[in-house]
Amino acid sequence: MLDGPVAGTPDAASLKRELGRIPLLAGMSEAQLDELEWAVRGRDMPAGEVLWRQGQEAEGMVFVSEGAVSLSMSLPGRRAVEVATARAGEVLGEVALIDGGLRSLTATATGQTRLLTVSRSDFTALVSRRHPTAFALKRRLAEIACARIRRQISALGDALGEEAGGGPRREAPEPFADLEDRRAPDSRYVRRLANFRAFDSLALWGILTAGRYAFCPAGSTLIAEGTRSPACCLVINGAVEKVVVRGARRIRVGLAGPGHALAYESLIDGGPSTTTAITRERALLLLLPQAAFARLFGDETAGSHVFLDVILRDLTAALRQATRPQAHLAASR
Amino acid sequence: MCRVLAYLGEPLLLRHPLYDTDNSLVRQSYSPRMMSTFLNLAGFGVLGWDRRSVEPETPFAYRVTTLPAFDPNLRELAGKITPSCMIAHVRGVTYSGHEVIANTNLHPFRFRRARVALAHNGHLREFRRMRYDLLPHIRPDVAQGIEGTTDSEWIYALVISQLDDPFGLPGAAELADAVASALRIVREIRGRLGIDTSSPVNLFLTTGQALVTTRFSFDYGWYPPGDTLLETDLPYVSLWYTVGGAYEGADGGWAMTPSEAPRSVLIASEPLTVDTTSWLQVPEYSMLAASLTDGGIDIETRDLDA
Repeated sequence: MLDGPVAGTPDAASLKRELGRIPLLAGMSEAQLDELEWAVRGRDMPAGEVLWRQGQEAEGMVFVSEGAVSLSMSLPGRRAVEVATARAGEVLGEVALIDGGLRSLTATATGQTRLLTVSRSDFTALVSRRHPTAFALKRRLAEIACARIRRQISALGDALGEEAGGGPRREAPEPFADLEDRRAPDSRYVRRLANFRAFDSLALWGILTAGRYAFCPAGSTLIAEGTRSPACCLVINGAVEKVVVRGARRIRVGLAGPGHALAYESLIDGGPSTTTAITRERALLLLLPQAAFARLFGDETAGSHVFLDVILRDLTAALRQATRPQAHLAASR
Repeated sequence: MCRVLAYLGEPLLLRHPLYDTDNSLVRQSYSPRMMSTFLNLAGFGVLGWDRRSVEPETPFAYRVTTLPAFDPNLRELAGKITPSCMIAHVRGVTYSGHEVIANTNLHPFRFRRARVALAHNGHLREFRRMRYDLLPHIRPDVAQGIEGTTDSEWIYALVISQLDDPFGLPGAAELADAVASALRIVREIRGRLGIDTSSPVNLFLTTGQALVTTRFSFDYGWYPPGDTLLETDLPYVSLWYTVGGAYEGADGGWAMTPSEAPRSVLIASEPLTVDTTSWLQVPEYSMLAASLTDGGIDIETRDLDA
């Protein structure tokens, strides 16, 4: 619903000032802001206007410049529950642009609100280039998605009550230290995993040789909530569940199967893990140590271009998965 | 991969979930929105319990190996029947000359005199190798009922053999325990025979008064080399549900009506509407059990650690 009336097309200087106040773009150079400027349009919305509805195709993303946007989730029985409010400076709607899915929440202006909008086609054009601005934008989006996941999971933990901790099945004193080394898998298999299909052979080889392969039996704790992971895990075979444990209660907020990654949030923002990662099935993992992750995440090579896409898609999948327990909790009230 | 729906609650015209919604079960046979690499062309079956029918505790049954989209008899019948419980299935098999397309392989399965019916979405890899190891766990009077060649029918026989009385009327809790017990037996046999590749077992069981479904896979994420089903099996097999007063169409869409206490639950391999916002996903490795009560229905989910 981004095709509504465009209320303001401010001059270049004021638009750039507005862009400069958006945390997603903070620290970007003048040249990088110039790169973005052509894609951004202003839009004013009255209170109560619906920006988009849950389940709709995504037509673009928005920055909240002034005002606030309420985000609500539909529930069975024609009910809805408000799950968050986005305020000035926040970005909205990027998830569905990154993963091509549908809107996961309904967005409604709560008061007079000014937005800066970027259409789907302009967003795709911006991030699909191998240009410094595209790399910078994708890294920022990943940081924002990390922060959003942290907020979402923290809220879930609060809803469960009690202190963090409880009973993971087996504590891991040093993450990944006692895992058994294994040989690399057949790259023909890896190439068939959805997240890796976009890699060209050289880029895929660059990633598959950047870490070590390790086997982990089912029921092992890989990372405990509150600790910092020294590596990013790519699941090659098996499945790892991400759980929040509060006292005797345990909620799964994600399940990473073949081709999916986990334990990279610490490597992106330096914060501790918000969840405990436990192998639900025996698992073959590719462990990318911090240095390898930093290179793939921070460089501006062809491999980094695709790796950033993989991490972004994984983050958006994690965000969508984390709304499921939220929905179940809300529906059961 | 097959597509299944199960329903328990207020009487619901059969035509609605089979044909009327914009992602109805019949549409999912030839145009599924999820797992779209796989069509479900190997037959159709439905069992329904209608409170106003003769012997309401016995379901009506309709199973054919033809495509339901081209079945005028089914369409007309579906416009006349309003069951309060149903289980319907479109069968998907690999495109192979080795598959047996026959009435005896059509879901839902319900042996003569049995009160429990079952439909299955998934497949046990290397089933031929493990089939006869299941036999000691299946009661002889139940085993006699097996007529087809599917893993699903054997799972059915195994589950009802775990009941105190395979031909009795179990409640939701007893049925759920029997399912969990059957999955543990399958797990143990697979371990003994060294079968350790992904095998989804989404089960739908009902008695007309209680409903139990699972979203479960053995050894999820492990596949045989060169697996032809890899792309189909990579995502965890889906299962969705919606709950409320009654399932009704309004403003061009279909959804449960609001209700203080749930009176109806609809569970399906994928939502019956393109708009999925009124549906919730059943968590992986879990079971959802529902039963009729005086005030509506009780719904409970539990983890499956089989």
